Amino acid sequence: MATRFILRRLGQAAVTILLIVIVNFLLFRAMPGSPDRILARNPYVSPQAIQQTRERWGIDRPLIPDQLVRYVGATLQGDLGFSFAQRGRPVTDVIASRLGPTLLLFGLGELLAIWIGLALGAYAGWRRGGPIDLIGNGISLILYSMPYFLLGMILLLIFASTLHWFPTFGMTTIGARFDSPVAYVADLLPHLTLPVATVALGLIGQYSILMRSSIIETLSDEYITTARAKGITEDRILRAHALPNALLPTVSLIAINLGYVVAGAITVEVVFNWPGLGTLTVEALSARDYPVLQGVFLVLSISVVLANLVADMIYGRLDPRVRS
Amino acid sequence: MTTPAATVDLAPLAPTAPAEHLFRRIVSRPDGLFGLVILAVFTVLAAVPDLLVGPLQTAVTATGGRLQPPSLAYPLGTDEIGRDLLNLTIHGTRISMVIGFLATAITIFIGGVIGIVGGFAGGRIDAVLMRITDFFLVLPTFVLALILAPIISDVIGTGSTMLGIRTTLIVIVIVVGITSWASCARLLRAQTLSLKERPFVDRARVIGAGRTHIVVRHILPNVVNLLVANAVLTFAGAVLTETTLSFVGLGDPFQPSWGQLLNAAEEVGAPNLGAWWYFVPPGAGIVLVVFAFTLLGTALDDLLNPRRRTRR
Repeated sequence: MATRFILRRLGQAAVTILLIVIVNFLLFRAMPGSPDRILARNPYVSPQAIQQTRERWGIDRPLIPDQLVRYVGATLQGDLGFSFAQRGRPVTDVIASRLGPTLLLFGLGELLAIWIGLALGAYAGWRRGGPIDLIGNGISLILYSMPYFLLGMILLLIFASTLHWFPTFGMTTIGARFDSPVAYVADLLPHLTLPVATVALGLIGQYSILMRSSIIETLSDEYITTARAKGITEDRILRAHALPNALLPTVSLIAINLGYVVAGAITVEVVFNWPGLGTLTVEALSARDYPVLQGVFLVLSISVVLANLVADMIYGRLDPRVRS
Repeated sequence: MTTPAATVDLAPLAPTAPAEHLFRRIVSRPDGLFGLVILAVFTVLAAVPDLLVGPLQTAVTATGGRLQPPSLAYPLGTDEIGRDLLNLTIHGTRISMVIGFLATAITIFIGGVIGIVGGFAGGRIDAVLMRITDFFLVLPTFVLALILAPIISDVIGTGSTMLGIRTTLIVIVIVVGITSWASCARLLRAQTLSLKERPFVDRARVIGAGRTHIVVRHILPNVVNLLVANAVLTFAGAVLTETTLSFVGLGDPFQPSWGQLLNAAEEVGAPNLGAWWYFVPPGAGIVLVVFAFTLLGTALDDLLNPRRRTRR
């Protein structure tokens, strides 16, 4: 039964990804003018390249199914076309070179936020109405109402340009050369601190609100009353009974919210000039570099679908009821 | 979330409940009262910006120096071309709130139609509509909005105005509307499904009422409450999305919303120059409005949503 559950989820994810590729295709064709006309506007592209593109996309053939099939086939092989703004560099290359910094910034921020946010939320819910709950909930709501980039701008103002504790932009010092990995990390860390803090703080608000309401709901369940009646210590009730059950809905909500978090990450990178996918997106937006924009959309959507898939699997493992 | 959907009762404040009653219940809650007060203040700012600070300043009518810190003449300082930031921020209120309102209207309309039609029609129509809805729920819709915006503005063109709003901003309204309706559709479908099984709908059907009649006269009045609560929460989200879209450069410098002001501040490098007065006022506006609408929306949801889902 477990295998069937996993297969069904995998199938659903595959269909969603295929749909995303098709949406990407349709959007591209919805634009005024055909792709080669947009290419022709770019002075860096030679006539041969345009002819090649026409043949590759099958521009002279009918839109559906011929062009669609070619497009899906090319995408599946990792061919996302060529960037307009970056002199015809393959989009796959452009995106790959920006993926690392984003994963680093985002992975660290997300990890910190999950740890701190869930702990804070659980504590606030457990001591509902206490000082930590009231203060924490207020701060969480304000952080939740604040766009990530605004938080980033404020942190930048306070800690970088006023207190000079951290550098104001970039991932490493411009022009610096590193003799050893240690020197590289020593330069990277101060650059990393503020952006990661921004992502983490923004998420902590969200996660602690989710965890707080989840634990409050769990605590009103009957088995908690039963556990109390059996004389189990409060500490054990929290750790062994309430926490595991309260974590379940939080896991899936975190996965569902990932799509929104992606949006936040894009803007945080802009504030700190972080050389990741976010700054790439904004550069592509101002240059109307459609192939890159579509590549970014594809990569981010697929990551969100996969993250949801992983969350479903974790959820399935944690809660056997879901599998049936 | 744990309450089974089978035993949903209608809101105690059915559509017949007087509006004053609901108003009293909202202001008796601290979150509801706070939300309403903030909403009232910002509505006044948005309604009559010209009376408060005069017409929107432009590069031509700017009177101050470059990036001046707050002073008596300019309580919120000036921007890089000498415009008064108090003037810009108050005019920004109107622009942000109008965009938020229009985007919310589109979102609620699409979500409402898809949810009610899906729930009421059932069968294959429902299955198809819900597939589309789920697809939109899992997509990172903000990124979709980012790539849709330039495409739509290529289609409808930029630089002109519609109903006094510049087309750049119309594009934002459309993009926010078509990317954020999915959760509203889900919510309304669930409610329509449970309403459909109620005796009064059966009675209407038995005496020969048509589908349209049942939807308009029986289903709609019973989901209005839910729509209102959802609209208030959607508004908060729409203001945030508009801000973010403007921040990454999709706004309009000639009708600057709060997000556009933040974008300008970022371009000038205000955080690095220590020019806090450039981004703190519009930022505070955004946080207050989103915060107030979230509180008000949650309060309304508690009072009006029969499921009383404990949200957040």
